[in-house]
Amino acid sequence: MEFFNVFGDLAGGFATALQPFNVFMLFVGVLLGLIVGVLPGLGGTSAVAILLPITVIIARSSPTSAVILLAGVYWGALFGGVVTSILFNIPGEPWSVVLLFDGFPLAKRKGKPGVALASSFFASFVGAFLATVMFTFFARALADFALSFGPPELFAVFIMSFATLVGLGAEAPVKAVMMIGFGLLLAAVGFDTITGQPRLTFGQIGILSGIGFVPVTIGLFGIGEILASAEESGIGFMERLSAKVGFSDVLETLRELRRRIWLVVSTGVIGFWFGILPGHGATAGSFLGYGLARQWARNKEDFGKGEISGIMAPQAAADAAAVGSLVPMIALGVPGSPTSAVIMAGLFIWGLTPGPLLFTEHHDFVWGLIASIYLGHLLTFVICLLAVPLLASIMRIPYAILTPFIVLISVIGAYSLNNSMLDVFITIIFGLVGYWLRKMKYPLAPLVVAIVLGDSTEKTLRQSLIGSGGNPLVLLQPPIATILMTLAVILLLIPIIRTIRSRGRARTAALEAETVGTAID
Amino acid sequence: MFVAAVAMIDSRAGAMVDTTGTQPGGIGAGFYPFWSAFVVFVCAAVVAYKSRRGPQGAPAFEGRQGVVAVLKLVIPMIVAVVAIRWLGFYIVSGLYMGLFARWIGRYRWLWVLVLSVGMPAAIYGAFELGFRVSLPKSVLYELGVLPF
Repeated sequence: MEFFNVFGDLAGGFATALQPFNVFMLFVGVLLGLIVGVLPGLGGTSAVAILLPITVIIARSSPTSAVILLAGVYWGALFGGVVTSILFNIPGEPWSVVLLFDGFPLAKRKGKPGVALASSFFASFVGAFLATVMFTFFARALADFALSFGPPELFAVFIMSFATLVGLGAEAPVKAVMMIGFGLLLAAVGFDTITGQPRLTFGQIGILSGIGFVPVTIGLFGIGEILASAEESGIGFMERLSAKVGFSDVLETLRELRRRIWLVVSTGVIGFWFGILPGHGATAGSFLGYGLARQWARNKEDFGKGEISGIMAPQAAADAAAVGSLVPMIALGVPGSPTSAVIMAGLFIWGLTPGPLLFTEHHDFVWGLIASIYLGHLLTFVICLLAVPLLASIMRIPYAILTPFIVLISVIGAYSLNNSMLDVFITIIFGLVGYWLRKMKYPLAPLVVAIVLGDSTEKTLRQSLIGSGGNPLVLLQPPIATILMTLAVILLLIPIIRTIRSRGRARTAALEAETVGTAID
Repeated sequence: MFVAAVAMIDSRAGAMVDTTGTQPGGIGAGFYPFWSAFVVFVCAAVVAYKSRRGPQGAPAFEGRQGVVAVLKLVIPMIVAVVAIRWLGFYIVSGLYMGLFARWIGRYRWLWVLVLSVGMPAAIYGAFELGFRVSLPKSVLYELGVLPF
């Protein structure tokens, strides 16, 4: 019964998504996403952040159109980011970094740029399609389950999402924790919603209403990224390859895809479930996909030299993870990736509260979004196959025009939200902060997720504590909370165990070397 | 890294002073910021300790080139944003685009002019006329001399 309901809801969603204005928004979003994906100075997350103020105007008439625009940017950027990785050896997006390993070698050394591009597009499409099907069937179930959550359970979900950022992050767990704390602090600035006391304002009236996450995000990603790339641009070396995808390339890719279909399907499915874990999204998914492909391959030595599996697996996983990252955002109100954190910020600004109630209160919105994910990926796929040469030419926009343009757009984005110059200053300050944090190798994703989730985390914690008269054990009382908290602790312990194990290994190696040395003596 | 950690300790120490008035450990307004600051403080101490004990990493900037490239972007950006108060967004954006085109891009004056007039005009059309988003205006606008 439930199963058939999904089809009915999805049909309704398609009816919403296929309205001419929504199709137009999707097209604009996808195109913008492709463009920013190709541009190295601007990422999908920053593009979504910069567009937020504009979506406020669109959302007045229809929030669905606004979210379709932002999601379109996300999908477009996912596809577009690979173009520069494969053709110029410059990643357009963090999630296309992994394509430098095999994409560029296939395009250059083996002289097959068309096959390299087509492989990534096909894999992206298959991965995203699978993930969207899973999204369609499981998001509702997750949301229904989440409805039974009280403040302690929700607090445990937030803690768990912070713990995954630390536990599964690539390196520097201490820095990740520090960024989470910093984000929570930033979220706490301004009036306390429960007691009405001003906090951390240091006497400044301007920030009594708090520091908005939009100017902070625009600064961290938009301005921070161009500063970081300005420093590196002297090193960047561009080698241009033909960007055309011919019909024979498509046929060859289809043959290659058929041989690897199980790899693509399985990395897609794993990527989706990985994407659901808060705080990860496409970048971590892409590395996971690459790792799995290499682990499972018989020809491990071909990896890094232009192996097609090394393109298809990470792409399928990255796109599936990106779709997956929207699930907790919609169902629980916990973003699964930095980009979905910014999209979630949009939902708040438009007056919608992400979380389980979204399914019942804004039924059309959710299903319109789900249907638009199917359409968005199809559209992106078609545009990509046809328009790659054109996209690659965007790379030729000179630095002297592109950089000031990005700064101006960031300024407009920050200002127009509240018509406040203070937000512009906050953006610039966080641009510098973001640049410095990048340089010092502090992860930015935990910071953004903490700023966005900070208020909700505090609210659920204090509601739980107030309800129990200050007894902290209430946080572990519901069984789900206990399970989630235990998982969170395990995740937090992973980096410590990792360090101890690597130290142990190093010590054993040193001891062995010493023994061998003595034996030789 | 050491500098970053110390800076963080310093700012967090400030944050603690601001909140300790409201009994940390209770569930008052200062409870949550205090413990967030505490987490940052402890992590910063760990990072500082590690960077002191560990091998000295590479210096923050590799040579002068990197610093110069970043400063070339940062200084005009800050000047432009501060100048918006008097010159308004449109005049500043024209000057800013023109500056980059001439200084970094070394374009001919004709192109500089096209960019510094065309870009603000396009933004004016899109935001002011299209989206009805009002951006900061100049002193001359308030005097009734210019429309922006």
